[in-house]
Amino acid sequence: MKRFLSVLVLLALALAQEVTLLTHESFSLDKALIAQFERQTGLKLRVLKAGDAGEVLNRAILTKSAPIADVLYGLDNTFLSRALEADILLPYRSPEIKNLKATLLLDPTFRALPVDYGWVSLNYHKAYFQDRPLPKTPSDLTRPEYARLLVVQNPATSSPGLAFLMATVGRFGEDGYLDFWAALRDGGVRVAKGWSEAYYTHFSLYKGDRPLVVSYTTSPAAEVYYSEGRYREPPTGNLFPELAFFQVEFAGILKGTKNLEGARKLIDWLLSRPVQENLPTEMWMYPARRDARLPEVFRFAPEPLGSVRLDPGRMAEGRERWIEEWTKVVLQGQSPEAVRRARR
Amino acid sequence: MRFLPLYLFLAFALFYPLLSLLRLGVGEGVVRVLQNPYYLGRYLFSLEYGLLSAGLSLALALPLALLFRHRFPGREVLLALTLLPFVLPTPVVALALLALAGPRGLLPLDLYGTLFLLLWAAVFYNLGLALRVLLPTLLALEGPLQAARTLGATPFRAFLRVGLPLLLPALGSAGSLIFIYAFSAFGVPLLLGGGRYATLEVEVYTLLAHRLALGEAAGLMLLQLLTLALVAALYLRLRAHPLPPAQGPRPHGRPWALALFLSLGLLLFYAPLLALFLSLRPEAFLSAWRSEDFTPLPQALLNSFRFTALALLLALPLGLLYAQAARRSLGVDLLGLFPLMVSPVALGLGYLVAYPGLRGSLFLLLSAYALLAYPLFARALLPSLKALPESLLQAARTLGATPLRAFLRVELPLLLPALSSGLALALSALLGEFGASLVLWRPEWTTLTLAIYERLGRPGRAPFEEALALAALLALLSGLLFYLLDRGKSRVS
Repeated sequence: MKRFLSVLVLLALALAQEVTLLTHESFSLDKALIAQFERQTGLKLRVLKAGDAGEVLNRAILTKSAPIADVLYGLDNTFLSRALEADILLPYRSPEIKNLKATLLLDPTFRALPVDYGWVSLNYHKAYFQDRPLPKTPSDLTRPEYARLLVVQNPATSSPGLAFLMATVGRFGEDGYLDFWAALRDGGVRVAKGWSEAYYTHFSLYKGDRPLVVSYTTSPAAEVYYSEGRYREPPTGNLFPELAFFQVEFAGILKGTKNLEGARKLIDWLLSRPVQENLPTEMWMYPARRDARLPEVFRFAPEPLGSVRLDPGRMAEGRERWIEEWTKVVLQGQSPEAVRRARR
Repeated sequence: MRFLPLYLFLAFALFYPLLSLLRLGVGEGVVRVLQNPYYLGRYLFSLEYGLLSAGLSLALALPLALLFRHRFPGREVLLALTLLPFVLPTPVVALALLALAGPRGLLPLDLYGTLFLLLWAAVFYNLGLALRVLLPTLLALEGPLQAARTLGATPFRAFLRVGLPLLLPALGSAGSLIFIYAFSAFGVPLLLGGGRYATLEVEVYTLLAHRLALGEAAGLMLLQLLTLALVAALYLRLRAHPLPPAQGPRPHGRPWALALFLSLGLLLFYAPLLALFLSLRPEAFLSAWRSEDFTPLPQALLNSFRFTALALLLALPLGLLYAQAARRSLGVDLLGLFPLMVSPVALGLGYLVAYPGLRGSLFLLLSAYALLAYPLFARALLPSLKALPESLLQAARTLGATPLRAFLRVELPLLLPALSSGLALALSALLGEFGASLVLWRPEWTTLTLAIYERLGRPGRAPFEEALALAALLALLSGLLFYLLDRGKSRVS
């Protein structure tokens, strides 16, 4: 009996020694940093990547009563309201909060803590536009000379896709955004399932046939960084900030975690300076900490002035309807008037 | 009362989750679905896909079945080949088509996201099934047709007045089966539809996984269930039709020419499978084996084996019980068709709704697996069980054997061939399970099929090649198991 009990205790200890991070498929951090975290805390970090940011959140909501991880990271401001309503996160006033940029603290209950931020934006392939004029304003995209040049992500299955859709709502308004999309549709816009399919399969930089893609303002810098000296200047650039969408990524402790102490340590670590300074060149987002230094290559990723910011309440209220209406217009070919009529 | 465990299991694993789902969907969900032309469009596409698949498969299977009436060298091998896709997991078939005519395929022709590729997949799956239904009927028709000819009918008239009326039920039942499979298809349209061609099943998945719209998903499910129930009723009505005993294949004037023609035709049609193996790169196995970005091959393989074995422990006794019960009552027999009609995705969704406390527990996944596998097992067993004379058992009992002993010594040996066929069908269904696994998935449970899906989600040459390698492995496994246990004997009923 005694032996059995001690085995149980050992087992419990072994289980408590692990902390699990549920995150999206683009998660990446320096392995040395992770090893350091494990050494310092005595915790083993297990990373579960579960698809696109939206999928990850829904997975966490569906497994709410038997959580599959201790910490959720990668939830963004377009989905913040859903996470808070579903009540899957525990509040945690991390000691690191005082070091974060105050404008990013979008959840006053401190259940979702900002880890990084950035902008979803249109990228263009410079080689293609070398002797052709670039579109100057968003509405130029609907002109015939820019037909069949753009690839976007389906907002129903991709978080940058959703962010770009929201940017068009912010820019053209509830009525106008549908007309803009109908014009893009008639111009032969291509819809990919997710970011990586759009970027690595359809974007002309990677031998696709579309020189315009929905990506991030930091993507041109990432191209230089990964080119190992091949590029001195980015081969791609950002188009008009009026369609860039401000995105914040949050982390939070999952309710029902069996390792609250470990989960807190993991959050503190995500907000610590070494991780924050590693984030930019791993995930290509800006650190949420005020004192984190940006890597040199980020000079190719200036912050866009005049980007679109939507109120969280408005995003929560409109999100589902926008996706539905977008699907009707772009994928099903319905007319914007018909869709607007159906609202009433 | 012997069958109580079966009914209890069905109540837990099938009816209660479905009822919870319907309760959720009947209210607001169904109203929103019916009011929304977008969902109506998805419904119409599912119908269209089901009908086109059934029509095309039959149009191809009928002339093929006419040729297979003849004796020629390699006839049995070719017939067995046509049934192989039926046991291949959907991600394998989808990848095989991509390996031939996808964006990175062998042919310089990209059919990704076209209806053509989807229809090819549907016919690929169902051609063997259609052949299995049509061929015995055609062979049985020889007698009546000859009789009509002897009585003075022209060949055309004999076919029109005698052959066609006898053939129509077979065409109808094969057609409705294919319709059921295509209408509720999941893996193929999810992987090949390119977002544009989504069946209701795919739409339900998107609503759940990406948008968490449980109400709408349940509403769509209701629509799908009603449609399938209608078609299943039609199928059951068409089935019973007395025919004279089938004759063996008859000789053909040029057996070698026929053999060559059929081999070439089938080779072209099943070329995607060949393409899958031709595009394999050995390095891909190695990188899949120690993958850091995705579930490594050993873990996925282990999960597949583990879950399959555990689910069999549940499914085999259930299947035996069910077959025993269905032997005596038609009502139970119909009940057994039900799990085959309910889509795995819907089932997974139903579990999440019905048992919030069990979300993320392995037991739910195994229940779903067992539910999907036991009817296949039982349906393969049923014909042999029905053919077993009751008097045999009674004789054994009279001679003093206990029921258990009578079963073990008398029934079991007679049933063994059917048992192993049923096991083969159940095994390949379990190994290839996709829909329910995807919904109930926990990352550490990633099976081979999910490991393929995981890699396909990331474009680029390397993940695609790893996915190809995993698919080839899965195809080999399913094919091998099927060959070992079945050797082409199975009857699809």
